[in-house]
Amino acid sequence: MAEIVLNKLVKNYGRTRAVHGIDLSIAHQEFVVLVGPSGCGKSTTLRMIAGLEEISDGTVSIGGAVVNELPPRKRNISMVFQNYALYPHMNVRENLGFGLKIAGQPAADIAQRVDEAAEILGLTELLERTPAELSGGQRQRVAMGRAIVRKPAAFLFDEPLSNLDAKLRGQMRAEIKKLHQSVRTTVVYVTHDQIEAMTLADRIVVMRAGRIEQVGTPMEVYNHPTSAFVATFIGSPPMNMLPGTISGGAVRLADGSALPVPERAADNAREGQEVLLGIRPDDISPVGHGLSQDGPGAELTLTVAIAEPLGMESLIFTRIAGQEVQAKLYGPRMVLPGEELVFRLALDRAHLFDAASGASLEAR
Amino acid sequence: MARYSPKRLFRNRMNLVPFLLLLPAFMVLALVVVFPLGFSLYTSFTPYRLIRPNTLHVWIGLRNYTDLMGNGDFWAAFGRTVLFLTIALNVEFLAGLGIALLISRITWGQRTLRTIMMFPMMFSPILVGYQFKFVFNDNIGILNNALQALHLSDGAIAWLVDRNLAMFSIIFAEVWMSTSVFAILLLAGLLSMPRDPVEAARVDGCNPWQVFRHITLPYIMPFAYIAMTIRSLDVARAYDIVHVMTGGGPAGRTELLWTLIARTGYNNAKMGMANAMAYISILLSIAFTYFFFRKLIAARKFMRGAD
Amino acid sequence: MDPKLRRQLGRIVSWVLTFLLMMIICVPGLWVVLTAFRPNAEVLAKPAVWVPQVLSLNNFAKIFGFAQEVAIPVPAYFANSMIIALTSTAIALLIGMSGGYAFARYRFRFKDGLFLGLMLSRTVPGIALSLPLFMIWSRLGLIDTKPGLIIVYVAMNVPFTIWLIDGFFRQIPIELSEAAMVDGCTRWQAFWRIEFPLARSGIASAGIFAFLTSWNEYALASQLTRSTYSKTLPVGLMDFTSQFTIDWAGMSAMAVIIIIPALALTFIVQKHLIAGLTFGGVKG
Ligand SMILES: Nc1ncnc2c1ncn2[C@@H]1O[C@H](COP(=O)(O)OP(=O)(O)OP(=O)(O)O)[C@@H](O)[C@H]1O
Ligand SMILES: [Mg+2]
Repeated sequence: MAEIVLNKLVKNYGRTRAVHGIDLSIAHQEFVVLVGPSGCGKSTTLRMIAGLEEISDGTVSIGGAVVNELPPRKRNISMVFQNYALYPHMNVRENLGFGLKIAGQPAADIAQRVDEAAEILGLTELLERTPAELSGGQRQRVAMGRAIVRKPAAFLFDEPLSNLDAKLRGQMRAEIKKLHQSVRTTVVYVTHDQIEAMTLADRIVVMRAGRIEQVGTPMEVYNHPTSAFVATFIGSPPMNMLPGTISGGAVRLADGSALPVPERAADNAREGQEVLLGIRPDDISPVGHGLSQDGPGAELTLTVAIAEPLGMESLIFTRIAGQEVQAKLYGPRMVLPGEELVFRLALDRAHLFDAASGASLEAR
Repeated sequence: MARYSPKRLFRNRMNLVPFLLLLPAFMVLALVVVFPLGFSLYTSFTPYRLIRPNTLHVWIGLRNYTDLMGNGDFWAAFGRTVLFLTIALNVEFLAGLGIALLISRITWGQRTLRTIMMFPMMFSPILVGYQFKFVFNDNIGILNNALQALHLSDGAIAWLVDRNLAMFSIIFAEVWMSTSVFAILLLAGLLSMPRDPVEAARVDGCNPWQVFRHITLPYIMPFAYIAMTIRSLDVARAYDIVHVMTGGGPAGRTELLWTLIARTGYNNAKMGMANAMAYISILLSIAFTYFFFRKLIAARKFMRGAD
Repeated sequence: MDPKLRRQLGRIVSWVLTFLLMMIICVPGLWVVLTAFRPNAEVLAKPAVWVPQVLSLNNFAKIFGFAQEVAIPVPAYFANSMIIALTSTAIALLIGMSGGYAFARYRFRFKDGLFLGLMLSRTVPGIALSLPLFMIWSRLGLIDTKPGLIIVYVAMNVPFTIWLIDGFFRQIPIELSEAAMVDGCTRWQAFWRIEFPLARSGIASAGIFAFLTSWNEYALASQLTRSTYSKTLPVGLMDFTSQFTIDWAGMSAMAVIIIIPALALTFIVQKHLIAGLTFGGVKG
């Protein structure tokens, strides 16, 4: 059993605090993704779990035991680094077998397990090459192979795909998913790419400035963001935020126009409160070209500023009450700048946040 | 809280490691450099003479230093040393830059040329001195022989005897030995330089001189500072050259600080006085090194963005 | 002017300059080498004999004691130089590796200051240092001993060795040793199995540089050594000038003996040395 528990975990670099007391438990065999903008402390947290960074305060436990004082080699984990960290002076076979060799495994066992791992990752042909002779994707695979041969209690990944091009990244993402399904080990995976987070995670941990902003399954985080930060960070293109004030049971926008308060936030919205009305581009569509046509909504006539056709859909840039927003048009229809269209806002799917704190006003 | 928790102890132990790793280095340096320098600082306040050991315990305060202030020979040697270093380092830099630019343009045989260029660096200074004593010898030196064979001069030119020519000869030997440090590092700089900025500047309408002045030169300056720092570490190697070529003579015309120290300390056995001079020469060396090292650090920061 | 012609001309000028440059670098040394194979009479002849009439190994035979007059014990000097240079290099490398690793891999207090102090300790002119060392070494009985000179050379080489090795270790991404530690290594194992093999060529070139410094050093050796027991080649070279006349041919032969190991090593390290100097300095 390898559950990982972080308890009030803190990291200070001199006077500055990079991680502000994180609490998180990761279940056995769970795939958890830490996601957040650059510099928010993801790598630092991961490296404290690995034992590569000293823990300033709080504890890390792996499999029920506090490991704060244990060096990395005693934590029974393996890690895949952003730049792969393959040993340049060893060939692929030696790279894969290095951990086992250090552990003093007999040569026959090492060979067998290396071959197994190579088989799983399709590296069999490349075993005698050195890292310099491999492509980026192949290096990535070797790095993963090196992690799996040791059969550790947990895998740690630090942005393993960020050096690959978009197409390869998609491919490797699928492979990592497959790998997890076959080896079933606890995984902590760091990325700043929210698509990776959504597709890979059992649970997503959204971090911001050294703190956890929200923890939940991808769908929870997507459908019920607890803050404006999470709402804009998860989902692409990002959720539109319309600033306004609650007045007479409606959200009054900057130009004086009003939209109804979304039902899920109706109980919490106070009269006179400054709020942000959050609505995803998918939920603003020209009438007849949207995803959901029923349920409560509002219709607005808007002028298209820019349209980016993507084939079966188009991304439309326009303005609501002076605020730039993005909208989606579904269907192979050409839209021209300057065109005036009636848009439908699916307000049943909209969110309301307190403008000052960013906290969601959704009742729960 | 928990000030004495195991975690704290662990951290302290971690921080000790680099100091333990550095300990042997600093121990050796303490034994060979710091402690002797402390001792020589002490002797510079005594009238210590090797032949009279009990003079080591006579304290005369700053007398050696005040004597030095009024010592014309010393100041002449000091001035000559500063002049020597200034000329040598500048010529080495300019010649090194010229050589680097020259070789960077040559496409065929570049590596061979670079290797040959490194040879003088590997010569023992004492050998360089000997070699040029031989070359500049008025009677049998290859230079005079060649000048005479080509009828460029009839008599033997006394390269190592005439005041100015002797200084020139010594500087020539020094430059011959040390220019390659500059040439090699500047060449490395030139070869590592990205092409884009140069091309961008050309497109922006710079002429070749402007490209060199505003793009190339700033890029390779950190390399020049490395070379300067390395050079300033062992400028005193010139002692060996001068010692062999002229021994500071004739009549003290090529006397540098270092040869004067050796003469005062060993030939005249005036250790106290020699140590006082030595201290001044050390300060001079440190000043040179510190100056270039600061520039190097600044250039390094500049190149990396931050520490 | 026609640009094509101008380019041609430029090329010719740069070739001429290069040729002159190589002449200045090579001719003095080659002349010394040539002299080493000629009899003194021919060297001293007036007018000069440009084309050697007699080439022989007599000068070498003489200084190695195969001829009747054994004036200078060159074999002993050679052995001293080798022993002193090799031992001091080995020790300086060990100390330098440890120190270079500390600078490359750890953050600690006074780091910049310590580094600067290290460099400044190297700037002390040999002759200035020789005065107190001479006094102290005589009291410790280290004058005219090989260990006495070895310790001094270790100290002379440590700062620069640390500088170079620090540069080479910095080039190795820190993730490699982190990966090794996650893979089960102790920091010590990670060093020997990952970082050391990767820095090996750089460390070797630092070693060669240290060797050359010891091999070539004169100012300190000339004061701290006395006899065949510890005198090194550069000091021995001056034996030839101790009389009023100089044995040019013999000295040249000895010069050749001093220079051959140095030149051989230059060929071997040149690539790493340049890399080491620039990385140590710029990327540091
Ligand atoms: N060695 C260090 N010394 C001082 N501050 C550091 C150090 N390492 C990281 N930090 C700071 O800690 C914070 C968190 O860094 P961390 O590397 O964990 O970010 P990250 O979330 O992984 O970002 P990225 O997506 O860019 O990798 C940053 O503000 C960073 O500046
Ligand atoms: Mg990171």
